[in-house]
Amino acid sequence: MFHLLQLEWKKYKNYMPFRVMFILFLIIVPSMLMMFKSFGELPDEFNKEDFFKFPTLWPYLGYIANWAVFFFLGFVSVIMIGMEYTNKTLRQSVITGLSRRQFFLSKFSFMIAISLVATIYFALVGISIGFIHTNNVYYTKVIQNWDYIPRFFLLCIGYMSFGFFLVVWIRRTGIALFVYLVYIMFLELALRWLVHMRLFSHRSMLFYPMNATEDLLPIPIPKIVEEMAKEVKFDFLLSPLEATITTIIYSSIFLYLAYRRLQRTNL
Amino acid sequence: MPVLEIQHLTKRYGNITAVDDLSLEVNAGEIFGILGPNGSGKTTTLGIILGIINKNAGQYRWFDGDYAQDHMARRQIGALLETPNFYPYLNALDNLKIVAHIKRAKQPDFERALKLVNLYERRKYAFKTYSLGMKQRLAIAAAMIGDPKVLIFDEPTNGLDPQGIAEVRDTIRAIAEEGKTILMASHILDEVEKVCSHVAIIKKGVLLASGTVGSIISDQIQVELAAEKNVDLLQLLKQQDFISEIQQENGILRIMVDEDFSVAQLNALAYQNGITLTHLVRKKRSLESEFLEITGN
Repeated sequence: MFHLLQLEWKKYKNYMPFRVMFILFLIIVPSMLMMFKSFGELPDEFNKEDFFKFPTLWPYLGYIANWAVFFFLGFVSVIMIGMEYTNKTLRQSVITGLSRRQFFLSKFSFMIAISLVATIYFALVGISIGFIHTNNVYYTKVIQNWDYIPRFFLLCIGYMSFGFFLVVWIRRTGIALFVYLVYIMFLELALRWLVHMRLFSHRSMLFYPMNATEDLLPIPIPKIVEEMAKEVKFDFLLSPLEATITTIIYSSIFLYLAYRRLQRTNL
Repeated sequence: MPVLEIQHLTKRYGNITAVDDLSLEVNAGEIFGILGPNGSGKTTTLGIILGIINKNAGQYRWFDGDYAQDHMARRQIGALLETPNFYPYLNALDNLKIVAHIKRAKQPDFERALKLVNLYERRKYAFKTYSLGMKQRLAIAAAMIGDPKVLIFDEPTNGLDPQGIAEVRDTIRAIAEEGKTILMASHILDEVEKVCSHVAIIKKGVLLASGTVGSIISDQIQVELAAEKNVDLLQLLKQQDFISEIQQENGILRIMVDEDFSVAQLNALAYQNGITLTHLVRKKRSLESEFLEITGN
C-alpha cells in the first residue's frame, strides 16, 4: 500500500490542478470563517462571537469546510483520476505492470491520505481559532464537539468517492465534473423535493447519498427554525449518526462500483 | 524456452471477431513479427496479452507460468502499444521514474535508457514539449527500464518521418543485438522482413501462417526476362532443369531459380542459342508478394 502511495505522490506532486485545488482548500477554510469578523451586525439569531470560540465554532467552521471539500477536494478526486484516462496513463500503467486492483488501491489510498491531511488541517484551524478567541480555555470546552473532526474525515471520503465513481464510469474529466456539480447542486435536490415528496412525503427523502454527506456537517440552524420544524414535525436534517451510517454505506457502494468498472472495462 | 504461449485466443466486439481462435508461441531470443493489414487484430492481440483488453475465450501464458500473477509477468516486459502515453506535465526523467516505480526496478539505469534513444540532453523538458518522434523514442526508453526480458513494439514507426523511422529501426536493431526477445506488430512488410527472425501473418483475426522468416519467404529468387521472340526463349528455358517455375505475362517471362544462381549465366545461355535478350531483371521475391499471396489479395 505504501508503495502505491509513493507512486501517486510522484505523479501528483508537480500536477498543477492538484496543487491549485488543494492550496485553495487550505486558504478558503480559515479565511471564510474569519470573513465573518468584518461583517456588520448579524440577525438576532446569531451571536457573532459563537463563530470563533470553543465549542460553538465547530458547526460554523464545519459548514464552511463542507463547501470547501465539496468544491476543491471533490474536484481533486475527479481531476486526478480523469487525468489518467485523458492521458491514457491508466492504460499505460497496466501495461507497465500495475494490476487493475493496484490501480484502484493506489487511488483509494491517495484519497485516504488527502482526507487525513485535510482532517488534521481542519482540526488545527479549529483549535487555533478557538484558542485565540476563547477567554477561558479549559479542557472540556476544547474537546466538546470533537466528533466534528471524524465527521469531517468521512465528509471528505463521501465527496471524493462520489467523484471517483463518476469519473471511472464517465471516463471524461470535463463531463464528470459537470455531472458532479449538477447532481449535487440541482439534480439531487430536484429528485428529493420534486419527485420524492410528490410520490410520498416521508423522512426517507433525507437519505439520498449527497444529502447524507452534506448533513455530516450541516448548515447551523438557528434555534427558532429548529423549534418551528419541531412544531410541524418535519426534520430538515439527518442526525449525525444517521448521516454517518448513510454516508459509509453509499461511499462503500460508490467505491465498489468504481472497482468493478475498473476490473471489467477494456482500457 | 517459450516466453509466450497463446492458445485459441478469441475476442469479439459485438458481431465482429477481432481475434479468432489464435494460437502461437514465441520463444526466447526470437524477434517475432506479427504481420497483418490494418484492423487485422494485431493490437487487440497485444492488448489482451498485456492485460488491457479482456478476452472472450482462450488463454495465454507468460514465461512458462513462472509468475504467480499476470501483472508480475508484465513487470518483466517492456511494451510500446500504439501511441506513447506519459504524464504531459512531467519531464522525461520523472516519467521514467514512475515506470521504474511500477516495475519495482532495482537501480534503474535512466541515463543509459535516455542515451540509447538520444534524449539525454532533453531529459529535463516536460513531455508535452516533445515532437512525435521524441515521444516515440521516450516510449522505447521506457520500455527498456528494468532490463525487461521481452520487448513489445506495436507499429513502432507509425506516424514518424523518414528520419524518425530510421532512428527507431536502428534502436530496435540495437536492442535485438543484446539478445532480448522482441515481439513486434506491423503492417509494413519491409519492416518485418528487415528486422524479424520469425513471423506470424494474420488477417481478420485469423492466423494464416507462421514460422521463420526464411520459411515463409522462399529462398528462391525471381528473374524476369524477355526476347524478340519469346517463343524460342520459352522453348529454351523449358529444357533447363535449374528452373522451377515459368510464368508468362505481357510479353515477359518470369522464372524462379535458386538464390545463388548467377543471372549472367542465363544471358550467356541465351546468347549461345542465338537469342538476344531485351529484358533481364533479377528480383528477390519479397515478403510482400508472399504476404499478398497468403492473404489472398
